[in-house]
Amino acid sequence: MAVGTTRPRPAPAGPGARERRPARRRRTAAWHFLTFAAPGTLVYVCLVLLPIALSVGYSLTNQALLRPHTEFVGLRNYWLLLQDETFLQSLRVTAILSLIVVIVPNVLGVAIAVLLDRRGRIYNALRTVFFTPMVISSVVISVIWTRILADDGPVNQALRALGTREPPGWLSDPDLALYSLASIVCWQMLGFCVVVYLAGLQGVPQELLEAAAIDGAGAARRFRHVTWPLLAPALTVNTVVLLISAFKIFDQVKVVTNGGPGTGTTASVAFVVLQEGFVENRTGYASAEAVVMLIVVAGLSVVTLRFLQRREVQV
Amino acid sequence: MLLVVAITVTGCSGGSPPSAPSTARGKQKVSFLVFPSPNLPESYWKAQVELVTKAHPDLEVELVAAPSESERNDYAKQLAASGQLPDVQIGMQDLVALEPSLAPWSEQELTDFLCPTCGAVNGKVVQLPANTQTIPDVFYNKKLFAKAGVTAPPKTYAELVAAAEKLKAAGITPFVSGGVFVTSQPWTAILATDLYARTPDWIARRRKGEVTFAGSPEMKAATQKFADLAAKGYVDKRQIGQDYPKTQEAFLAGKGAMYPMGSWFAAAADQSDIKDDIGVFAWPSDAGTLHLPAFTGGGLSVSATAKNLAAAKEFALAFQLTKENLDASVKADALFPAIKGYTPPPDTGPVFKAVYDLWRQALDRNATVPAFGWEAGDAAMPPGMQGKFWSAAQDLVSGRKTVDQVLSFLDTEWEKSG
Repeated sequence: MAVGTTRPRPAPAGPGARERRPARRRRTAAWHFLTFAAPGTLVYVCLVLLPIALSVGYSLTNQALLRPHTEFVGLRNYWLLLQDETFLQSLRVTAILSLIVVIVPNVLGVAIAVLLDRRGRIYNALRTVFFTPMVISSVVISVIWTRILADDGPVNQALRALGTREPPGWLSDPDLALYSLASIVCWQMLGFCVVVYLAGLQGVPQELLEAAAIDGAGAARRFRHVTWPLLAPALTVNTVVLLISAFKIFDQVKVVTNGGPGTGTTASVAFVVLQEGFVENRTGYASAEAVVMLIVVAGLSVVTLRFLQRREVQV
Repeated sequence: MLLVVAITVTGCSGGSPPSAPSTARGKQKVSFLVFPSPNLPESYWKAQVELVTKAHPDLEVELVAAPSESERNDYAKQLAASGQLPDVQIGMQDLVALEPSLAPWSEQELTDFLCPTCGAVNGKVVQLPANTQTIPDVFYNKKLFAKAGVTAPPKTYAELVAAAEKLKAAGITPFVSGGVFVTSQPWTAILATDLYARTPDWIARRRKGEVTFAGSPEMKAATQKFADLAAKGYVDKRQIGQDYPKTQEAFLAGKGAMYPMGSWFAAAADQSDIKDDIGVFAWPSDAGTLHLPAFTGGGLSVSATAKNLAAAKEFALAFQLTKENLDASVKADALFPAIKGYTPPPDTGPVFKAVYDLWRQALDRNATVPAFGWEAGDAAMPPGMQGKFWSAAQDLVSGRKTVDQVLSFLDTEWEKSG
């Protein structure tokens, strides 16, 4: 629905015009491009590409940070990973976490955004309230939730007051701890989803909704056939950001459960990578895990992005 | 990629000194890595350092605090890997990993220590074997025992199980448990009486591949005993989610009758209102013979790259051998200084006196054995295995894994570490 503006177009250049452009101008343009692009490129190379290359290099060795000698071991670390129950378990944990963290905040986020898509002071205040967890440190949030979900914390005290004799061990029960952890992450990420969906809702043209209403569509049908398709870009952004965040999750695991209770019940891939690298002193092996994690995250992100972008519509 | 960024960034500072070199006749600067714990707050460390610097005015000590007691080893390894290990550290456990970064102690420097070779790595002593801790003793609440009709501390394992049954029947949680290492304490105790009492070199044999966790009948039987305690409901599996300070609070608040814990708990017990109601006994064996798990080590170590190595060693030795420091460590952390000729101050609390007497009794009867999971140097499990052992204990208590699965897991992790 963009309204086009007409601008006087330059006269089409005749044959050989490009060649006639002064060489000096081209050099200046190239110099400007380099000047603007170089700092960013340098930072990207130093902080992204170089670490990735180094990581791949380390993953082919038996490097241990505190051991003086490092040997090239080829693909041995990758072969061991395939049989390493701890790593495979961490992949399973991360997959479950990612699934929950992608679905729940998306569903709740769109619902809350629709409710908050109104004008007024109270709605502005509520938007701030929902976004607040996003700006608080994950560690602080984790400490707060650890206290809330403790066996004698407020949640269980409330349950006991309501007559539950044996309230759940939210963080001590191996069958529950992962879901408690996922809930904390969902709670933190919800605000982000709400804001992105709210921005998406602002872009839904009122005239389309009105046209649908005139055609007899109720609120549910208007949402399903007009609003939801137009929220596709917001869904893409939320899904990809949540997927990447969930795969990288470390802070909450470290603070809330430290990978337990028991062996690896809540240990994410990022947590296991740092454990192997810095606690068990096997940097080469940990680098191989990090490389696998990079491949999985990058692969999933590309597939998700392509899939979701296909359903985006232009207005 | 976080790993590489961390390695790369920290690696850049590899050449920087842990503390600035001092002038020839000026103050000798020494950095000192300590750890906070319920027994040892920051004020304790400051007071301890002041005692040394008062007697050695040429020393200037800067405290570096580890994030927590349980993370002090990981923190030290990260600092060592990036060339930033403070000049002096206390209570390092992963000596095998840290050994290349630590300065060895000479025989002459170790003459005042009762066990000068304790915790040696490849024959080198890199940590002052300054004190002994018994891990675990069983602390018990006398009032709760009496309430359940348990008239005396158990002397055999059968009596222990009977007491636990009576306590459970009376609605009292028999064993207080908690997260991190606390869950594994009864397991360490059973391994002392049932495994180490017969095979004190079990870890050395595991290193040589002569035994395995899953293939050792003694290990399997001992682990089964621990799992049975949980299966019978004597250990509250809900408690494995609580942290160490909360666990201590739970016992002191009477939320359980027995608390298998290291001798250091005596310090907190003596500070509590119920100190006169707390008793202590050694985890009983089947036959009732005494086997007390003990660990000697845990003292100060010095970085091999300390700029003022002589000053760092001077500080470390003064810290470990000054009578006032040792007395303070006895009162604050219930340590048993393993220093020749040392006797604890007379004004210690009743719980400390009880654990100290128990240890002396075990020494007299030659009944101390290693504490499984707490060994140091060549006698210890490979780096990272201690944490796996603690996590495996939680799997047994929660019932998530069987004994066979846990033992096989420990074998797999051991092979990975090798």
